[in-house]
Amino acid sequence: MIGSSTRTLSRSVDFPALVIIYTLILIGLLSVYSATHNAALIIKFQKQVFWVILATFSLILVMLAPPRFFHYSAYPLHALSVLLLILVLFFGRTIAGNAGWFGIGGFGIQPSEFAKITTILALARFLSDSTTSLQTFTDLSKAIAIVLVPWLLTIIQPDFGTGLVFWAIFLAMVFWAGAELLLLITLVSPIIVIALSIAGLWYFLAAAFLVSILFYVLKRNIGVALMFLAINLTLGFGVQYMYEHLPDYQKARIAVFFDPEEAPLTAGYNVIQSKVAIGSGGVTGKGYLQGSQTQLRFVPEQWTDFIFCVPAEEFGFIGAVFILLLYALLFLRGLYIARALEFRFSSLLIIGIVALLLFHVVVNTGMTVGLIPVVGIPLPFMSYGGSFFIACMLGMGIWVHTWMNRTKAV
Amino acid sequence: METLTSANRRRSHILGAIILVFFGALVFRLTELQFVQYDTFRSQAERNSIRRISKDPLRGLIFDRDGNLIVNNNPGYTLTITPFEFQWHTLPLLVRLFGVDSNLVRFRISQAGMHSFNAVKIARDLTFSQLSLLEEYHTLLPGVNYVIESRRVYDMKPRLSHLLGYTKEISPRLLKQLGEYYQPGDVVGFNGLEAYYEKTLRGEKGYGYHTVNALGRVVASFEHGRSDIPAKEGSDLLLTINMDLQDFGERLMRGKRGAIVAIDPRNGEILAFVSAPDYELSELSGRISSEHWNSLINNPSMPMYNRCSMAAYPPGSTFKMLVAVAALQEGLLQPDSRIHCPGSYTLAGREFRCHGAHGNINVVTALEYSCNVFFYKLIFKLGFDNLKKYGEMFHFGRVTGMDISNESHGTLPTEEYYNKRYGSRWNIGYLVNLGIGQGEVNTTPLQMAAFTAALANGGTYYVPHAVRNIRDRYSEQVIDVPISGKRLGISKEALAPVQLGMLRSVQGSGTGYAARVGGARVAGKTGTAQNPPNPDHAWFVGYAPYENPEIAIAVIVENGGFGGTVAAPIAGAMIRRHLFGPAPLLPTAQEEEVEADQFETELQTTVILPD
Repeated sequence: MIGSSTRTLSRSVDFPALVIIYTLILIGLLSVYSATHNAALIIKFQKQVFWVILATFSLILVMLAPPRFFHYSAYPLHALSVLLLILVLFFGRTIAGNAGWFGIGGFGIQPSEFAKITTILALARFLSDSTTSLQTFTDLSKAIAIVLVPWLLTIIQPDFGTGLVFWAIFLAMVFWAGAELLLLITLVSPIIVIALSIAGLWYFLAAAFLVSILFYVLKRNIGVALMFLAINLTLGFGVQYMYEHLPDYQKARIAVFFDPEEAPLTAGYNVIQSKVAIGSGGVTGKGYLQGSQTQLRFVPEQWTDFIFCVPAEEFGFIGAVFILLLYALLFLRGLYIARALEFRFSSLLIIGIVALLLFHVVVNTGMTVGLIPVVGIPLPFMSYGGSFFIACMLGMGIWVHTWMNRTKAV
Repeated sequence: METLTSANRRRSHILGAIILVFFGALVFRLTELQFVQYDTFRSQAERNSIRRISKDPLRGLIFDRDGNLIVNNNPGYTLTITPFEFQWHTLPLLVRLFGVDSNLVRFRISQAGMHSFNAVKIARDLTFSQLSLLEEYHTLLPGVNYVIESRRVYDMKPRLSHLLGYTKEISPRLLKQLGEYYQPGDVVGFNGLEAYYEKTLRGEKGYGYHTVNALGRVVASFEHGRSDIPAKEGSDLLLTINMDLQDFGERLMRGKRGAIVAIDPRNGEILAFVSAPDYELSELSGRISSEHWNSLINNPSMPMYNRCSMAAYPPGSTFKMLVAVAALQEGLLQPDSRIHCPGSYTLAGREFRCHGAHGNINVVTALEYSCNVFFYKLIFKLGFDNLKKYGEMFHFGRVTGMDISNESHGTLPTEEYYNKRYGSRWNIGYLVNLGIGQGEVNTTPLQMAAFTAALANGGTYYVPHAVRNIRDRYSEQVIDVPISGKRLGISKEALAPVQLGMLRSVQGSGTGYAARVGGARVAGKTGTAQNPPNPDHAWFVGYAPYENPEIAIAVIVENGGFGGTVAAPIAGAMIRRHLFGPAPLLPTAQEEEVEADQFETELQTTVILPD
């Protein structure tokens, strides 16, 4: 009896995913300990242990929800989290320049983290609706609205980094729901053009032309392609003009995005020190608790956004690649599940969660190794902090819940 | 449906490819950093090019009531070792140059364990010649360095040891308790005002970015210090203490064990805070020999013990005022109602004796003569509930809330207390002893002084405080420490007989006559705290001038015997000193001053303490 029920459980619960995330959580705890134990900040480690326990309970709770619970509660939950985002504007407190926190005892809660999860739910619900067609302007606008509202409320807090992830989720889910490649290019290209317009004139012009040519190839309509080029150029020059007229300190902040070496000891300082930490780790690392960069606290606030350089310094290339491998396996597992699920809603949910985690992992580690600009977002399952960690675990709870109830029709 | 599945497969392949491209890029980048550029980064990490070093702020200063600087900072040079960089073969040289204890070095380094990047402090108060030796030999001594620490210096006549308290290196336990701000090796206020006002006095640390060489030695400040965050100096404290009175009190208590607490009944300001024996604060600042430390710790008279606010003694007869006030306020006793004292009181076959048969007396006379039978009988009328109500009102059994870190709450026995302690093995007879302040009631001298102040000022309980103002170093702004006073709602009619009884006790034919002062009427009450099998403790509490009180005082002399002969004269001398000062202008007063000084010498010669 026991044997058979264990088998049933192992067939219903997604054990591979759970093994991967708990391995990552364990590595995260060891890293937070390493980054904080030497600095009388051990309370951070203790708090993180508390978060792990709390998050495990949240995961189990979500996992055991009734079969069609999330299908029915998607819109109400999203409405609730938008409401919380509005409330936090008025009653929140500010931590590190970001006002989006609710204080509960000694712990801070960020509603924007939970909005990411409810956005996935609401979008999955909307896109899986049989009457929804992304070809129509109304439905596309509705889909955008689901994301736009929490996004706007997040960026005015202001939290630019967290804001971006909403669009990553949107793109992935819209793509999965069957949007045309053309639509995706239309949505993405202005963002790329704007970013490049700050980086340099030639990059931007090249990109604008490239995108327009691609557009022409796909659509075979010279008129639309030219109009598209015009829009892109206007946007690019417009942003460049605005950038030139920004106050110096804001310009400096954006410049650091593109060249951290220019400004050591300010924002660029973190990236340089993080690169030194990782690079000096070598192949096998300096040994646990022996990383000189970590132990001397060269990398400020290392236990939050820069946690990845702790194992990369102390366990070297082997440790860093092992962690990346775990993440990659998790995401591929997600894709496998999304493909195997027969219900659109369930499938879209998994894709949304994968997109959320993937964006965070790629942007966070990319920033830590100096590949992309500093965007202050945490690494899933590893960074110190409660709200995002719990949001990830809620996401994983939904993942496991979806897999457990895969045969039950919505 | 078939098409959907195949479309899904196609999309999952695209997404999978994107994921692999992302992770491929990351792994490529890691290869670049950790294989190709490894040597560059390795040497950068070893050069420790830029290091963030915290800068300790200067601790706030302490001024006396008149604005004289009494606690200042002096720089001291402390030898440090960074275990990670230290090389053991240099230990003999280190011992030879600085005379450090090699066992201490081993111990400190072994204690560092995983914290091997943090410098540990090895020896404080380096001399200038030692400092130049360190500069001379620094290439031979990797990991050996020095830091400048400020240490306290004191400039005042009294010692004021227990009130001010001292600072010392933070203990691991305290480090855990106080949290993130502190680092191992930081100096922290350990007790007294230094601990209570730690956050005010300490300021905020700053940070400096420095370029360091391969040996970890600072070679230059980074960017000429443009990125540095300066330390914020601590704020200064201005005390309420009457320094002359404090000094006088300390001299009066020399050779005795006990405490004096004097409070201004008009606002709760502490005027004197004497705990005897005491110690020199300057001896605990900077380098302290272990012999000296051990002699302080192991001294049977416990000089480090703050008797003013930590020691709780049975209040003896000084507790009678509480019983009287409670009964009068509750209407259980009228000012003119009389209780008969035949010289003893019998309860359940046990006889409680009085020192004389006082006959039919009212509450004023009972306080004047300190009649026990009167209060044995009165406490039964009052009962446990009222005793608790009024006791807590005057902060007995709880802390006064004074701005000192170590305060004991004493004991105010209640029915629950006895139930907890004895179960059913106690009876109402336990209440009898409480009526005269014996048994399990315990109060600190601070509690008694604050209680007396509330009786003196007509029923307002001021939280005693020793700091009057806090001054910000930068804005020069002086902030008054708010005075916290609570009207207790005790009527004039209930207080007047108690005040009169206290007046008669000193100025009439009571036991407190020795506290009389020429030029002002003193109200007070003696007390004798039984301390079997050792000699009794002597109490006196009082205030003056009777009409318009300016000082309330509590004095206890441990094992001093009868309160009237030991504690009362000390209180009287203190009151005189506070009201009329050391150098009176009037010739008559001058006589009294001489008299007082004679008294002082007399006190020291005639009262020989059992040791």
